[in-house]
Amino acid sequence: MDASLPLLVAVPLLGAALLVAGGRLVPRPVAETVGCAVSAGTAALALVLLLNSSPPFLEWSGGWTPVQGQSVGIVLIGDGPGLGMAALASLLTLASLAYSWHYFDEPPSGHAGSFPALLLLFQGGMCGFAIAGDLFNAFVWFELMSVVAYALTGHRVEEARAVQGALTFAVVTSLGAYALLMGIGLLYARTGELGMHAIGRGLDAHGCPDALVLAAFVLVMTALLVKSAAVPFHFWLPDAHAVAPTPVCMLLSGVMVELGTFGVWRVYGTVFSGPGGVPAPEFERALVTLGALTAVIGAVMCWYQRHIKRLLAYSTVAHTGLFLIGIGVLKPEADDGIALYVLGHAGVKAALFACTGILLDRYGSVDEHALHGRARELKGVAVLFVLGALGLAGLPPFGTALGKSVTEEAVGGPLTVLYVAASAVTAAAVLRVAARVFGGLGPRPETGSGYETTGSGERPETRHRLSRIPDTMTAVPAVLLAGAVAVGVAPGFAKVVARAVNETGSAGVFTSVHWTPAGVLLGLVSTLLAGVLALLAVARPKAFAAPDRALWLRRLQSGHVGDYVAWVLVGTTVLGALTLPGMLGG
Amino acid sequence: MSRRARLWLVAVGGAGLAALFVAAALDLPAFGGDHHPYGDRAVHAALTRRTANVIASVNFDQRAFDTLGEMTILFAAVIGCVILLRRTHDEHRGRPAPEKVARPVRRYSLLVLPVALLTGLYVIAHGQLSPGGGFQGGVVAATSLHLLYLGADYRALERVRPVALYETGDAIATSAYVVTGLAGLIGGSAFLANTVLPYGTFNTLSSGGTVPLLNAAVGMEVACAVVVLLARFLDQTVEIEEGNGK
Repeated sequence: MDASLPLLVAVPLLGAALLVAGGRLVPRPVAETVGCAVSAGTAALALVLLLNSSPPFLEWSGGWTPVQGQSVGIVLIGDGPGLGMAALASLLTLASLAYSWHYFDEPPSGHAGSFPALLLLFQGGMCGFAIAGDLFNAFVWFELMSVVAYALTGHRVEEARAVQGALTFAVVTSLGAYALLMGIGLLYARTGELGMHAIGRGLDAHGCPDALVLAAFVLVMTALLVKSAAVPFHFWLPDAHAVAPTPVCMLLSGVMVELGTFGVWRVYGTVFSGPGGVPAPEFERALVTLGALTAVIGAVMCWYQRHIKRLLAYSTVAHTGLFLIGIGVLKPEADDGIALYVLGHAGVKAALFACTGILLDRYGSVDEHALHGRARELKGVAVLFVLGALGLAGLPPFGTALGKSVTEEAVGGPLTVLYVAASAVTAAAVLRVAARVFGGLGPRPETGSGYETTGSGERPETRHRLSRIPDTMTAVPAVLLAGAVAVGVAPGFAKVVARAVNETGSAGVFTSVHWTPAGVLLGLVSTLLAGVLALLAVARPKAFAAPDRALWLRRLQSGHVGDYVAWVLVGTTVLGALTLPGMLGG
Repeated sequence: MSRRARLWLVAVGGAGLAALFVAAALDLPAFGGDHHPYGDRAVHAALTRRTANVIASVNFDQRAFDTLGEMTILFAAVIGCVILLRRTHDEHRGRPAPEKVARPVRRYSLLVLPVALLTGLYVIAHGQLSPGGGFQGGVVAATSLHLLYLGADYRALERVRPVALYETGDAIATSAYVVTGLAGLIGGSAFLANTVLPYGTFNTLSSGGTVPLLNAAVGMEVACAVVVLLARFLDQTVEIEEGNGK
């Protein structure tokens, strides 16, 4: 059983290769069916392995099991969190393949299989990253995910914006990857090891942390924070999400960004958490500071968007901030909460993107203002969209609510307020969109625009504007939302997740995770807050429009690659400065 | 952001990063030491599998799972290029006119082409024995074909280079790598385990178990991938013309 762990990578890669080889011979439905079947098969394998992952196991690729504690091979980790992320990535890939069934404009002639093949490669990369126990191997899968994501983001090359979005994404993420590689180089120079646990032991054996450890930590974290879109590494994300095809957005926001956060958790826990690594207070300071900044900026920017995809992208940024805080406080309960939050968030966010895709393909616009009242006819989609917004706010019994409430209790104090506020503001923005677009409520906003991306005049991703919404495009968000609710209500599910996380994360400290009256209350408060904010914004658009003093924040998102690169450099320095103080004494 | 502000940010961020780097570099182990924990283990492991080129053993045996990822990155880049450099609605395909080639250039390229191709294939075939291997040999073999573009013209190149065939070859080579890995799982102990084939005699072409197979798969994959990538970019510059703004 354990030996089949690498199949999580091998199966999708083989499927992709076969789709490309045979793609020109078979008609499009066959290629798409094969894509769905392969990704579903991988998802099933991930779930089976997940069910057998207690206690966690290690698998040595190529059969290079350690001799006298040393191995030349690559280790894969089969534990709850890793396999959970692999299962999540696989299920979301399946969802986006199903969503994009017959979806795109013509694929390049003779390449019917290329889009499903790219999604399968994406799945393989994400699964590989999730189960990697070797730092260099993680880098390889990090790169695979990234390369595929660039190509998928720029899929609609006819539009200059798509090319620009994909290019900034590529430049910023590649910089992150170089940083990761240099960090790996430093760690390898110190320890002569590449396996994460082995590096951690090597660092501990060397003694107190020094500048090399600090530099390695900062470089590795830079890459992972670029991937998870933490401020100030986040600029690529809204630009990429605004132009990427909708099924791709579902994957980027639903699981790829979260994999960056997962990487932070994994790498800190295995490499830097020992006495030779980065002391816990420094890690906590760095992550909580950046996380809080990310949550605030993400939420504010989310509120001021009218391009619906950008709005959802910023809400992902805000939630990433919340995830990072939860991981940063280094408490077992917070880890459990974040695991549940990530699962719930994936369903909710992917469903919201799926609904936005329906708007785009039917009306050729994702502009909140231009679409005012136009989608009244789409009753079913409206219900899904509002449910998604409520899930984002953390309305019980959504999985997001359970995860958020567990984390809130763990972090405590002012951070709890931040959790409530960030989720309320992002959900309010989505509810505001729902009220205007699907309900036609409030005065019609002005469509004139100054310095902002409006989102009108977009090309639908389907061949023609849809007159009738295909069933797959509505069924997928419905199933995703049902999944997000199931995370919250399925009896015993939360306990299983918590157990799986604690088994690797907190060295045998087991915590119990359940709904509490305080948690439910906080969830209701943030939902109520979101509703009130949204209603006020719809009723009095002038009072809630972006004030001039918020303009500088928006101007930071300039679309200029040079700016983003500069911010990555600054971010790296800030990260170093935040981590430095406690390491000077060593 | 103004140019000035951006330069300031780069200066501050760059200075911080540079300081961090210098400090880290001072803590690196001294140059030329005799403590190489991984190197010693890798050489030992390579010799037990009778692979003369230790680097090939690391690439295709000890860390073959990494190489799977690396070759897949190239494969993904090729599919990405095929998708992104497709002919869009507002572009049309022109017929490039043959250019006059200087005689010495023509003579030299036609002379060197077979030599370069053979060198590429040699480097791939001897990957497990001597420096080089699938990645390097694949690039040499693929670029050798493009001497035709220099020596003759674009149409001659197109005749020896049916892109569709190379795309399929790329995919087949990738699957071959995965299938060899699966054989290790079914016939041996683990995915990509090099325990299925006999290790052969040290320092001969057939030594190293599955190393030559994986090496050959990568060689084919890289050769096909480079051909397709170059073809797509050449198409874009030579053949595809933008519409007249219609």
